[in-house]
Amino acid sequence: MIRTPLRPLARVLKARQTGENPDAIERENIRLRHEEMRDKARLRAQGRLLVLSVFFLGAFMTVGARMGHLAASEPMEPQARASGSQILAQRADIVDRNGRILATNLETHALYAQPPIMIDKEKAARELAVIFPDLDEKELLEDFTGKREFLWIKKKLSPEQKQAVHDIGDPGLLFGTREMRLYPNGSLAAHILGGASFGREGVHSAEVIGVAGVESRFDEFLRDPVNEGAPLELSIDMTVQAAAERVLSGGMKLLNAKGAASVLMDVHTGEIISMVSLPDFDPNIRPRPPTEGEPGDSPIFNRAVQGLYELGSTFKIFTSAQALELGLVNPETMIDTKGPMVVGRHRIRDFRNYGPELSVTNVIVKSSNIGTAHMALDIGAKRQQDFLRSLGFFEPTAVELTEGPGAQPLLPRQWKDISTMTISYGHGLSASPLHLAAAYSSLLNGGTKITPTLLKRVTPQNGPRIISEQTSKLSASMLRQVVTKGTASFGEVPGYHVGGKTGTADKPLTNGRGYYDDKVISTFASVFPAHDPKYVLIVALDEPTETSGPKPRRTAGWTAVPVASEMTRRMAPLLGLRPEIAPAAPAKVTLTSN
Amino acid sequence: MSYLEYNLKTVPSGPTKIFYINWALLLLISAVAGVGVLMLYSVAGGSFSPWAGQQMERFAMGVVLMFVVAMIPIWFWRNIAAVAFGFSLILLLYVEFFGVVGMGAQRWINLGFMRLQPSELTKITLVMLLAAYYDWLPQDKVSRPLWVLIPLLLILAPVFLVLTQPDLGTSILLTAGGGIMMFLAGVHWLYFAVVILIGVALIYAVLVSRGTDWQLLNDYQYRRIDTFIDPSTDPLGAGYHITQSKIALGSGGWTGRGFMQGTQSRLNFLPEKHTDFIFTTLAEEFGFVGAFSLLVLYALIILFCIISAMRMKDRFSSLLTLGIAATFFLFFAVNMSMVMGLAPVVGVPLPLVSYGGSAMLVLMAAFGLVQSAHVHRAR
Repeated sequence: MIRTPLRPLARVLKARQTGENPDAIERENIRLRHEEMRDKARLRAQGRLLVLSVFFLGAFMTVGARMGHLAASEPMEPQARASGSQILAQRADIVDRNGRILATNLETHALYAQPPIMIDKEKAARELAVIFPDLDEKELLEDFTGKREFLWIKKKLSPEQKQAVHDIGDPGLLFGTREMRLYPNGSLAAHILGGASFGREGVHSAEVIGVAGVESRFDEFLRDPVNEGAPLELSIDMTVQAAAERVLSGGMKLLNAKGAASVLMDVHTGEIISMVSLPDFDPNIRPRPPTEGEPGDSPIFNRAVQGLYELGSTFKIFTSAQALELGLVNPETMIDTKGPMVVGRHRIRDFRNYGPELSVTNVIVKSSNIGTAHMALDIGAKRQQDFLRSLGFFEPTAVELTEGPGAQPLLPRQWKDISTMTISYGHGLSASPLHLAAAYSSLLNGGTKITPTLLKRVTPQNGPRIISEQTSKLSASMLRQVVTKGTASFGEVPGYHVGGKTGTADKPLTNGRGYYDDKVISTFASVFPAHDPKYVLIVALDEPTETSGPKPRRTAGWTAVPVASEMTRRMAPLLGLRPEIAPAAPAKVTLTSN
Repeated sequence: MSYLEYNLKTVPSGPTKIFYINWALLLLISAVAGVGVLMLYSVAGGSFSPWAGQQMERFAMGVVLMFVVAMIPIWFWRNIAAVAFGFSLILLLYVEFFGVVGMGAQRWINLGFMRLQPSELTKITLVMLLAAYYDWLPQDKVSRPLWVLIPLLLILAPVFLVLTQPDLGTSILLTAGGGIMMFLAGVHWLYFAVVILIGVALIYAVLVSRGTDWQLLNDYQYRRIDTFIDPSTDPLGAGYHITQSKIALGSGGWTGRGFMQGTQSRLNFLPEKHTDFIFTTLAEEFGFVGAFSLLVLYALIILFCIISAMRMKDRFSSLLTLGIAATFFLFFAVNMSMVMGLAPVVGVPLPLVSYGGSAMLVLMAAFGLVQSAHVHRAR
């Protein structure tokens, strides 16, 4: 930019000649320049303001034009039916793996009153008290004649009640539609579904929110209109679930157990086909959490997911599998089982004396604590921990339930050698039946990690490898032998080649010091078919007692095993498995020649 | 040029200052607030409770507040601008960690007698701070990159905090308000051109990338965009608000159904009928004539602010007045276009009309600032 000099030489000289002060020229020039700058700034500011004003004007005109356009458009009358009924049915259904409804919505009505526009308040109060015997006529009348302009009378009406209220014919008695969550199968899969209740309530609609189970875990998904009503597909099979609940609750009653849990899992996909926790409840009228007593005894407690139990001898197979995998033993290696085994102040005993030594297979078949403890000592604490961690015993399961993340397995505070030994046969570490199901699946599906899921999936999980296929096969065959000649002889189901491992653990005293001698958790972890594992079934009974013999029997072989075998007998055909029965020897045909 | 340079003797002082208030502006504001009370009365089914009565009380409180702010000299407000802005940022941070969660967002501080929404306060303090900044900054530095960066950061700090609440509507208002301030202050237009170009390019990229391997948004987000463009694809879901308010406007026709005769809003077809969507009630009951009259009232408020600003001689006063006018404009422009389906639904209330305490008081305080600038200008 070319600037005019503040002290132009020509003018200064001229001023000197005429005797004027040359500084005045400079001041004058500075003033002019400032004015020029100010004018420029002002001009620019005005320009900016003009642009903004034009923008404002444009916006005003757009809005005005739009208003005119809308006002001129043909008024479309609101259609009450379409906008009333469908807008409410927003929460998506929940279906089982075959698309059968587990949770859906029902439209019902709430009744409210607007006293200022009521005609005959006495009559309305009188007749309402007749329709709803639990309402008091006097109180109603007080409410109607008082200052209130609005009041709720009933939150849920049956169609008959609604018609009866209609017949009163008072314009001040009004109905608001309500979407209600309905579980048509009652208590079926109660712990999985959880339940729902009303959130924010308005006159004409109320928000339905999930409070537990998948309803709560997938609350956002179920409410998101973007899914366009697509249902939530669970991995549960309704038929199998019903059968499992039926048999398990029968078994629980027969054995005088106070609770029971079962999990049926597909070993390749990790899908939970059925999961039962007893006692259960009806999610349509979900009970409140108990304020007293053991929370673990409440019907809303999900024993299969939240219940942390010492799972006993079912853990032995993990020890033997790891020993095999590490090459420390083969199935025929003889293991020292001389008892009792003394470790420091502790003594490890077996249920009965099995002689000086047993092969690895027989340690599992006969369920020897001492043999397992010896193997665990060879493995060592560090490697044992790594292996159990890879099977998922160190953290809550990733199952899609709100309750899932709370079930952190209980681990020993210090992992001493004695812990290594007791945990090798399932004592000193508490986990949920679902943990056990996932670990057995990982062990038996060929050796890859399984994460349990409640959502339907088609493809195998192909998780990271935990053990070799060879070890997986050997473990399955050992489990099979437990059933054919070991502690789980009641577990045999003709045609389905069940394998499994029993576990009986004394319940810890509530004060945490020692164990009850007459209360046990008895568990049976089974797999079928053992030669080509497809499903894992875990059954756990809380404090069962079998009383048919002279002395009460509590071991899993007498309690959990028969229940599990009956469940397998009922569920296997429903799962589409065909019994594989060796053909009978052909009848002897004698060829005779005439 | 700042306030120190003009002749202070011509500025009114003493109790007689009150006569110098911009009475026309106050009258317009009262008219708009009156429309609001009328509508709230109608929406509640012809009753002052629960909304209309309280709204009147708040407006009365607001008028008192406006007078108090107006009587305090404008140079005081200039001097505390930075402090006020810092204070509102601290409040925003406080809400972030300790605020009351309501309607799925964390926005309020519970003061006991009212719930303060710091994001509302920030709208005004941001305008104050930017006006003070450009008043302080010499004209020739306005477009230097470093001096452009500072106000940009000042705008983005509260916008970021508000976005995490999350409150999309307010963050849009803050960004646009700040942008307008910078534009009025004379920041070179190339900066704006670049920002607009980048914005357009981003939108273009988002739309073009749909269905390709590198698509920028999730599928459901695209479906929401579809719903905005054509609400009838999902009339009962995301398009519900818009469809219903269009029906209300359409059934109002030219002259409306008459006071308290609206069906759409009174029959509860519309959620948020007393807050963000109150305009539909007006449109339905008083038709195009009523709605357009409100629009004219708003336009007049803006116009009076602009005229007042043009007569002010110092930069802070005029920038502040224009900035507040722009914020006010953005409020109702975004609200109206949302209600009429010209813009997606973001939660922005209709200023002075919608039910809401914080917004009303903060707006009245802002008009107090406008009045203060008007009263204390050199004459």
